[in-house]
Amino acid sequence: MEFEMTRSARTPSPQQYEGYDLPFAGVEMVALLSGGIYWPEHQTLLVADLHLEKMSSFAKSRQFLPPYDTGATIKRLADDVTATGAERIIALGDSFHRDEGTTTLSVDDADALAVLTKRTDWIWIAGNHDPATHELGGNCCESVALNGLTLSHEPDAKVANQIAGHLHPAAHVRMNGRSIRRACFVQDETRLIMPAYGVSTGSLNILNSAFAPVINREQMKISVIGRDQIYPVARRHLIGR
Amino acid sequence: MQKSTSAPSAKKPIDADLFAQAWGLPPVVRDWFVGKNWAPRQHQLDMLEADRSGKSALLIAPTGAGKTLAGFLPSIAELAVEPFDGMHTLYISPLKALAVDVARNLMDPISDMGLNIRVETRTGDTPSSRRQRQRFDPPNILMTTPEQLALMLSHKEAPKLFGSLKRVVLDELHALALSKRGDLLALGLARLGTLCPDLKISALSATVAKPELLREWIGTPKPEREVAFITNEGGADPEVEILASDDRVPWAGHSAQYAVPELLEIIKQNGTTLLFVNTRSQAELMFQSLWELNEDGLAIALHHGSLDVEQRRKVEAAMVAGKLQAVVCTSTLDLGIDWGDVDLVIQIGAPKGSSRLLQRIGRSNHRLDEPSRALLVPANRFEVLECEAAKEAVKERAQDSEDPQPGGLDVLAQHVLGVACSAPFNAVQLYDEIIRAWPYRDLEWEQFERVVDFVATGGYALRAYERFARLRKTEDDTWRIAHPKIAQQYRMNVGTIVEEPMLKVRLVRSRGQKRGATTGPIGRGGRVLGEIEEYFISQLAPGDTFIFGGEIVAFEALKDTEAYVSRAVAKNPKIPSYMGGKFPLSTYLAERVRKTLATPKLWQALPNQVSDWLRLQRDVSTLPGTDSLLVETFPKADKFFMVCYPFEGRLAHQTLGMLLTKRLERDRAKPLGFVASEYALAIWCATDIGAQFKRGRLSLDELFDEDMLGDDLETWLDESSLMQRTFRNCAIISGLIERRYPGQEKSGRQITMSSDLIYNVLYEHEPDHILIQATRRDASRGLLDIERLGTCLKRIRRHIIHQDLERISPLAVPVMLEIGKVPIFGEGRESVLAEAAEDLLREAAGKH
Repeated sequence: MEFEMTRSARTPSPQQYEGYDLPFAGVEMVALLSGGIYWPEHQTLLVADLHLEKMSSFAKSRQFLPPYDTGATIKRLADDVTATGAERIIALGDSFHRDEGTTTLSVDDADALAVLTKRTDWIWIAGNHDPATHELGGNCCESVALNGLTLSHEPDAKVANQIAGHLHPAAHVRMNGRSIRRACFVQDETRLIMPAYGVSTGSLNILNSAFAPVINREQMKISVIGRDQIYPVARRHLIGR
Repeated sequence: MQKSTSAPSAKKPIDADLFAQAWGLPPVVRDWFVGKNWAPRQHQLDMLEADRSGKSALLIAPTGAGKTLAGFLPSIAELAVEPFDGMHTLYISPLKALAVDVARNLMDPISDMGLNIRVETRTGDTPSSRRQRQRFDPPNILMTTPEQLALMLSHKEAPKLFGSLKRVVLDELHALALSKRGDLLALGLARLGTLCPDLKISALSATVAKPELLREWIGTPKPEREVAFITNEGGADPEVEILASDDRVPWAGHSAQYAVPELLEIIKQNGTTLLFVNTRSQAELMFQSLWELNEDGLAIALHHGSLDVEQRRKVEAAMVAGKLQAVVCTSTLDLGIDWGDVDLVIQIGAPKGSSRLLQRIGRSNHRLDEPSRALLVPANRFEVLECEAAKEAVKERAQDSEDPQPGGLDVLAQHVLGVACSAPFNAVQLYDEIIRAWPYRDLEWEQFERVVDFVATGGYALRAYERFARLRKTEDDTWRIAHPKIAQQYRMNVGTIVEEPMLKVRLVRSRGQKRGATTGPIGRGGRVLGEIEEYFISQLAPGDTFIFGGEIVAFEALKDTEAYVSRAVAKNPKIPSYMGGKFPLSTYLAERVRKTLATPKLWQALPNQVSDWLRLQRDVSTLPGTDSLLVETFPKADKFFMVCYPFEGRLAHQTLGMLLTKRLERDRAKPLGFVASEYALAIWCATDIGAQFKRGRLSLDELFDEDMLGDDLETWLDESSLMQRTFRNCAIISGLIERRYPGQEKSGRQITMSSDLIYNVLYEHEPDHILIQATRRDASRGLLDIERLGTCLKRIRRHIIHQDLERISPLAVPVMLEIGKVPIFGEGRESVLAEAAEDLLREAAGKH
């Protein structure tokens, strides 16, 4: 098993950005601390599970959670676009916590999103939370094939060389009696599952049975997102369920 | 009740009717006393007199002084003369078990006297049919808890139900008044003050440092009523000893393992003994160790808050029946019910505060004229000093004092919604009522408006939720709930006690001895041992062993809300580290400990091994002063250590450690980690920190400057998990997020996760939101103890004494021994990832 992570400072655009090599299916990818992936060859930013308008979706049941998550997630996107110089964004589904979310955006959030959809070539892949198409700029579709890779929302064992989201992977790492749980990228030789990108998203332990059908445990590679760095971690250090 | 009056009152014989008439009791009550050959005590008669002259009253008396009868005598005297329709007296206790117990003890004399007075209890365990009935057909005397009062007040019948009320009796008020439950209770009393024109409030309390404060607390809801102050400080002085062990008292640790053989001997020689420990994990450990050496098979039981209720009731029953020789227990037995004859109270580990110790000592021997007996068992050398200080404090009956904080805004939000559920309210009128709750007496109108706004729509600057409002303002300028469902939601959420996410621990058959075996069925349907913090279980891998309920068990699997465990044999099982139940050293005792250290002539009272230790410290370094801070620096194993001794408790030290490491990082001193104990803080660096102080590259005065509580604190709060945990409580109490009940949610973790996310988003975007304000208020006392740290930094300003040493000092040994035993906080955890990554890289390199 060859797996090494090197911090690389790249200059595809005038800006420098920090990323970590994340080779997958023979393609050069760069993992970002935000939970996104930058694909330098196509100047494309991949993000999964934004869950925009999640906090506000609870208001119907009269739980008034702070309505600031959408703005924060869009800002995170804008920062990544500025840092990498990405010209295309592909959102791998569950971009909105529910379909109605596309109509509940505040004026400010809608404006900030419009800036991004104008500046980049934006592709919305449908997710189980947001199956409907919408008119927020960019194109809506079910999945994307790019350079021999399939980008979709839900991981599917029948599809080879797939990048997907949906499961919100997190690793609970234990070492020398202490432990920490953080979101992570998880992959085997034919599939890469991205962490959820939205600021209000929870996560699911990658040892959960939901991962078993789509990630081969023997080949499992885990890249955990720390505070200032991304760490490769071996499966034997994982705990949880 | 009999028990509490069983001591003969005065020395005079009770033969003359004339004498009995002077009591001023109705004949039927007087005859009952005479028939029992008892006489009411002076403070009981004083309570009666206060009530008759239209006063509220505060009674301060030690355990066993007949406080409860004193509280009810005015009600009985009045109800004996004239039958009453409706609720006359409302009794409120911090414990539901206590409410039930007191009701039972009150019903006996009432039936002896042949009086027609209805007494009932109402707690969370009362069947809902009876609770329903009580709302329309209340008893004359109702025994309940603060939460039930809040619930009853939220119904529209509340004005009718409480309109007839004459008296409220608050039991163990000292245990409630300054807590969030106290805030809720005070708001309820302010409400009652509005609903009941004739209300008088009587409170019963153990001795406290500032009785005046409790008196104001009771008086505020009815400002026109005077509050009589009645005391009975009597009773014999308790006999307190410190275990003088032949064995060496250890340098560090909290388990007092060294004393176990002596403790068994002492238990054998006494009747029922209560062994108090400070945390549930210590209780488990002590119980385990006692039984390991318990060759005589003494009946020793275990009692703490995580054990199954059934299990606890069994222990309590066995104790009342006198079948137990000893019970290892935590603060669950601090308060309340009389558990029968306790001969000796043993406090394992330092008592942490003199008030708590006095309360615990009071658990032994409920007869006033005989002294209570207590034995203190220090678990380490610093605790010897602390035990000595506590013993002195008990002798002087000195109490710890805590300054009250303004009432919690989260509790206020809950109350405002409750008021709206009972009837529409006018904001100005409600505000006038709320400032008659003592903790809210200084509440500003603007704050109150923001709370109402929060209840209505979340109170965000970004007004996103107007159309979903819970409260709407109507044309007649009143606020009313938008939907009856909101009242149901409110009733599910009443109360200020928020539990950590817990899992049931169920004993099942092991699926095989092979460690790591993941096949084979797991047995089902075993016995539930109790509950455990989910946090602890989430750290375990299947096969890991730990101690629970006095048994060694192996973690098998997690099923929904249950952790399956099997019996196991293990040398070094883990001890669950419970979040709650760790009290910091009280300010008062800390002061005394500092004084003892600084005053060599006080060392005579100490065991030789301890005074020798202090003498050695004086010779090789120096002693910490009473108002200065000693900072020692020394190299050890290619690291450079800085140890300081603020004596402000582990929580304040943790916060200090966090802030100092941030500063040292900025000053490029390369701090690597820190560890905090109750007494000291040790930080280690990669650079020679002592030399930097000496050369003046770093200034100790600047390092410890109070301004660390400004910006540095802010940056830290931003990312602190302690703050997130504090926020979760406020969010639940205020009704921002719903309380979950077993079965509703797969696991508590999901709630924790989401409340962390909510905190992060809210703190970043609206840091002055009232829930962030409420969180800060709690954090300044609770898990971060910022307030205490602030006082400390002020005290030691420009009084920092630096000792640059060649090696570790004697005083530094205990805290240095903690390294590796206690978790290192904050960023430290992130290093887990770095270590795991290095491990993987090493493996990859090895394979090439």
